[in-house]
Amino acid sequence: MHVKKYLLKGLHRLQKGPGYTYKELLVWYCDNTNTHGPKRIICEGPKKKAMWFVLTLLFTSLVCWQWGLFIKTYLNWEVSVSLSIGFKTMDFPAVTICNASPFQYSKVQHLLKDLDELMEAVLGRILGPELSQVNDTRALNLSIWHHTPLVFINEQNPHHPVVLDLFEDNFNGSASNSPAPGRPCSAHRCKVAMRLCSHNGTTCTFRNFSSATQAVTEWYTLQATNIFAQVPNQELVAMGYPAERLILACLFGAEPCNYRNFTPIFHPDYGNCYIFNWGMTEKALPSANPGTEFGLKLILDMGQEDYVPFLTSTAGARLMLHEQRSYPFIKEEGIYAMAGMETSIGVLVDKLQRKGEPYSQCTKNGSDVPIQNLYSNYNTTYSIQACIRSCFQEHMIRECGCGHYLYPLPHKRKYCNNQEFPDWAHCYSALRISLAQRETCIYACKESCNDTQYKMTISMAVWPSEASEDWIFHVLSQERDQSSNITLSRKGIVKLNIYFQEFNYRTIEESAANNIVWLLSNLGGQFGFWMGGSVLCLIEFGEIIIDFVWITIIKLVALAKSVRQKQAQARYEGPPPTVAELVEAHTNFGFQPDLATPGPDVGAYPHEQNPPIPGTPPPNYDSLRLQPLDVIESDSEGDAI
Amino acid sequence: MGAGPSPLEPWLLRLRDALALVCPILTMAPGEKIKAKIKKNLPVTGPQAPNIKELMQWYCLNTNTHGCRRIVVSRGRLRRLLWILFTLTAVALIFWQCALLISSFYTVSVSIKVHFQKLDFPAVTICNINPYKYSAVRHLLADLEQETRAALKTLYGFSEITSRKRREAQSWSSVRKGTDPKFLNLAPLMAFEKGDTGKARDFFTGRKRKVNARIIHKASDVMHIHNSKEVVGFQLCSNDTSDCAVYTFSSGVNAIQEWYKLHYMNIMAQVSQEKKINMSYSADELLVTCFFDGVSCDARNFTLFHHPMYGNCYTFNNRQNETILSTSMGGSEFGLQVILYINEEEYNPFLVSSTGAKVIIHRQDEYPFVEDVGTEIETAMATSIGMHLTESFKLSDPYSQCTEDWSDVQITNIYNATYSLQICLHSCFQAKMVENCGCAQYSQPLPRGADYCNYQQHPNWMYCYYQLHQAFVREELGCQSVCKEACSFKEWTLTTSLAQWPSEVSEKWLLSILTWDQSQQIKKKLNKTDLAKLLIFYKDLNQRSIMENPANSIEQLLSNIGGQLGLWMSCSVVCVIEIIEVFFIDSLSIIARHQWHKAKGWWARRRAPACPEAPRAPQGRDNPSLDIDDDLPTFTSALSLPPAPGSQVPGTPPPRYNTLRLERAFSSQLTDTQVPAES
Repeated sequence: MHVKKYLLKGLHRLQKGPGYTYKELLVWYCDNTNTHGPKRIICEGPKKKAMWFVLTLLFTSLVCWQWGLFIKTYLNWEVSVSLSIGFKTMDFPAVTICNASPFQYSKVQHLLKDLDELMEAVLGRILGPELSQVNDTRALNLSIWHHTPLVFINEQNPHHPVVLDLFEDNFNGSASNSPAPGRPCSAHRCKVAMRLCSHNGTTCTFRNFSSATQAVTEWYTLQATNIFAQVPNQELVAMGYPAERLILACLFGAEPCNYRNFTPIFHPDYGNCYIFNWGMTEKALPSANPGTEFGLKLILDMGQEDYVPFLTSTAGARLMLHEQRSYPFIKEEGIYAMAGMETSIGVLVDKLQRKGEPYSQCTKNGSDVPIQNLYSNYNTTYSIQACIRSCFQEHMIRECGCGHYLYPLPHKRKYCNNQEFPDWAHCYSALRISLAQRETCIYACKESCNDTQYKMTISMAVWPSEASEDWIFHVLSQERDQSSNITLSRKGIVKLNIYFQEFNYRTIEESAANNIVWLLSNLGGQFGFWMGGSVLCLIEFGEIIIDFVWITIIKLVALAKSVRQKQAQARYEGPPPTVAELVEAHTNFGFQPDLATPGPDVGAYPHEQNPPIPGTPPPNYDSLRLQPLDVIESDSEGDAI
Repeated sequence: MGAGPSPLEPWLLRLRDALALVCPILTMAPGEKIKAKIKKNLPVTGPQAPNIKELMQWYCLNTNTHGCRRIVVSRGRLRRLLWILFTLTAVALIFWQCALLISSFYTVSVSIKVHFQKLDFPAVTICNINPYKYSAVRHLLADLEQETRAALKTLYGFSEITSRKRREAQSWSSVRKGTDPKFLNLAPLMAFEKGDTGKARDFFTGRKRKVNARIIHKASDVMHIHNSKEVVGFQLCSNDTSDCAVYTFSSGVNAIQEWYKLHYMNIMAQVSQEKKINMSYSADELLVTCFFDGVSCDARNFTLFHHPMYGNCYTFNNRQNETILSTSMGGSEFGLQVILYINEEEYNPFLVSSTGAKVIIHRQDEYPFVEDVGTEIETAMATSIGMHLTESFKLSDPYSQCTEDWSDVQITNIYNATYSLQICLHSCFQAKMVENCGCAQYSQPLPRGADYCNYQQHPNWMYCYYQLHQAFVREELGCQSVCKEACSFKEWTLTTSLAQWPSEVSEKWLLSILTWDQSQQIKKKLNKTDLAKLLIFYKDLNQRSIMENPANSIEQLLSNIGGQLGLWMSCSVVCVIEIIEVFFIDSLSIIARHQWHKAKGWWARRRAPACPEAPRAPQGRDNPSLDIDDDLPTFTSALSLPPAPGSQVPGTPPPRYNTLRLERAFSSQLTDTQVPAES
């Protein structure tokens, strides 16, 4: 009883109007809601009523469907891009300059002596006596050779390829028709291959090359890597080109600069590289004007005479433009500048700024990438190139036990060399061509959210001109070497102009295509379009749902009570309810003023309420009024259904 | 007839409503109370209103749109007028805004995305700039060469080609002195004195002759040359030599090269394809070494592609029935590295004046337009080409005029490649050429059933070709309007840089081992000017995709329209249906009913003018909705009231007001009394 009273009280307070039956509630809702459809259902004739009912249902489903579409679109996290082009004062890009040759041959010769002699001998063996000028009388250090030798593979008989070591005249394969020992093979019959062995020479693979040029170049690079890997870093730096030798003149805008404005960095492929305007220690230099006059002008000397002959065959300066505080991956993204030429580079900064999760798959600073960034030793920012290389090195260390010379080392690891890791070349060679490894790395690494590219317009002219050649070389030689002799030549000198173009930036910026405002206005638009509804209509609907629940609860309570009552008073037959009572039960009490409750009604109820006990004081009116309602309601409900 | 009772009824109803509101409900009997409620809840003056004015009034009062109600309930003429104005403005604004929305439906929004991923390596086509080995093709071109030399000698006094590499060729120059110059007769080279274009000096004979032909200055539309004393050109005539055109150039270099090319095409058009392929360079000859992604490759990885003007070209990564090679690392060592053998001694001195090779980077299914695009590479240099991939996708019809394939372009594809604008233009030109001149132009593929132009079969093709070409350039052939751009294309942005190769110190060993490599093809020691190194690689694996997306979808358009409707008038589709219902169905039905009654009345008066009672009975049912008693069961059934046994007991049935009212409708005095009673 108590519970029910509370419920009733609560219901009374909650709702002053909708009514006490489902139907009343529904009619009231339809009549009073602000959405456009339901009102029509009840205030039209029967035929139109049906039509409006169908229409309302149709519109409701349409609205729901469209809402679903919009919410789905919103959750796709699409982006729209805005593009801006123009000129503004921007930080001048960092410029990294390297020499194509990593070391000065004069300083590195003692390390490469054995290897070079071997290489000459190899060339002599391949070319045959009539083409080579080398006499084979010198004693060769064959310990390097035996580790990874080059071999001839005679594939004239494709089922029995004949393998022939360059320095041995005996055959490892089927040896019946041996060519003349003086000149083992000619190019159209034999291919040169590199033998890579592991497990103390038990498992061997032959890496085939279609041309001998590639074979010897690869072989030499592999051996040189092996040698340099054992040399400490300071010595390597000392063997490279020093800044004062490389950079002859420097001018940034109107301000003179010299080699001290360059930050040195050691690159395994190109030796000493120098970075201008890296922004690591001091602020980055801005450039406020387009054109050559306001850019960076450099004169470099490559010193081509001092190149390591077998290591690099290309001569020139290698340069790269990159962002401040980012590591220069000069081998991948660098360009060449030719000696004896003036290379002018107009720069356009092409920037892409991404929004990050959940809009696009990118990382702000690389902290959420599962690979340790080995380039963080240089205090540089994250980039996907760094990640992929770190990933490769990680794989290398896992597979081969040592790090590759070209990439930075993790803590407490060593670079690969033949002495300590005899199998490394075989292992590296397998890893390098492994596609699975690369794909794992690409999958693991994420792009950085801010992607900056420097679009370059490159043009070249001969420099210095014939007329000015003499004095320019003279002045530059004097300045660098304090000698009156000309120490420079057209074969080594490079002039560079790097400047901003007239439009120096093109920024593509992502923004959310569908934000929450977009979503709401579209939801509102749809609801308004089909049904003229708003959020308040939804609240109305929610209110009605609550009322429905209340009514259901009350009905259930009443049903339970009536069952109990029927059991208790099975014999009792009360007077049939009057029409007024019946009708009253269905009217909307909420609409009536409260003062309408007392009066004549009071007399009508006591008989029904408690017929066996006369003379009791009139009970609480609220409960009085609701008491018969429930009883009747349960009956009338049965009729209605 | 029907108009008689109409002004009365709403007033009555409204009065009743007002009464129902004013009168305290509790004073009524329970039955009355219910009725009052019913009346209030169910306004029975619906669209069944008896005339248009009533209908409008009803509509304005009951509609969900906001302006209309104000018109009706406003007092004062000015106010009403203003509200009418506002409402109409709002309607006009809605129409305007919705029209804007609909007209801008087919717009696109562009999105740019960057993906770091494994990229397909493009097809790379490499051609030697010189099409055929001069030694192999020379016997075909001997006459032409001789005449060219003669023309050079006549005008410029140039006698000997003193090329250091062509000593052996000099014996040719004086062989056929006395033969009839057939090439110069066909298209005579001439020099014109400036300002006297009527007179020309013949290159071959040296004497002046009168020219009565139209002078067409090449590129004269674009720029004006003032200071040249003499212009050089050649004359082309149609069949009967009556209609001639002279094409002039500002420099003899251009004139002679064009003239030579014209005759060269004539001669080569008669040579069979197999023969031409044999005269050109083989893959083994052109490619000295090849290296891709750290693995050796050789001539077998290249496919032959024969271009009429460039001879044998070789395409890397374009092999049929093989997977497309891809790059999973950026940088030069993971790209394509080739060393090319360019033999300058075999160059044709008049056809090509530069040395090197041409590289075209294109899609696998794309036709390489060697003449139109491509990067030229130099000998004794390493050319490194860094690539960035950009993919673009356009939306086709109705967003833009682009096409996916050949299906909606009325041009037959003469190339064995997917659609591109250039292929379409070339195909279109070739088709026009065959149509107008009867033969096909040499530098493009042959359409079905056509032959290449040559003197023997088509003596005046050159004149025709030049005419057609001029028309094509001026967009008179209609090719530019027929051909549409392709909807998607891949573009490789190239960064080209040069370096010296081989370097001073490595030159010796490198050249000797390269010589050993090529010893099968080339029986001489290689020089560094015979070689060119080419590196093509992805700078990084970022792929940019520029995509067009529809800016609007249907649902977005609807919600925008809904927003507009809601903003200006709080309207919705329901309102629109209401409008349709009220303004079309109900109005029409009212008018129809009106007419029907008129006709009926007229008929009744004609048939029985003495009986005025006749039409009354149907008129009593004229407006059934006004019958309150009829409506009561509707409500009862709607609420599913139990058929209470006592429902008939209280009170007598209400008097049938409608009959009363209808009676009154015909008496004017009652109308008068009712109206003031309401107000």
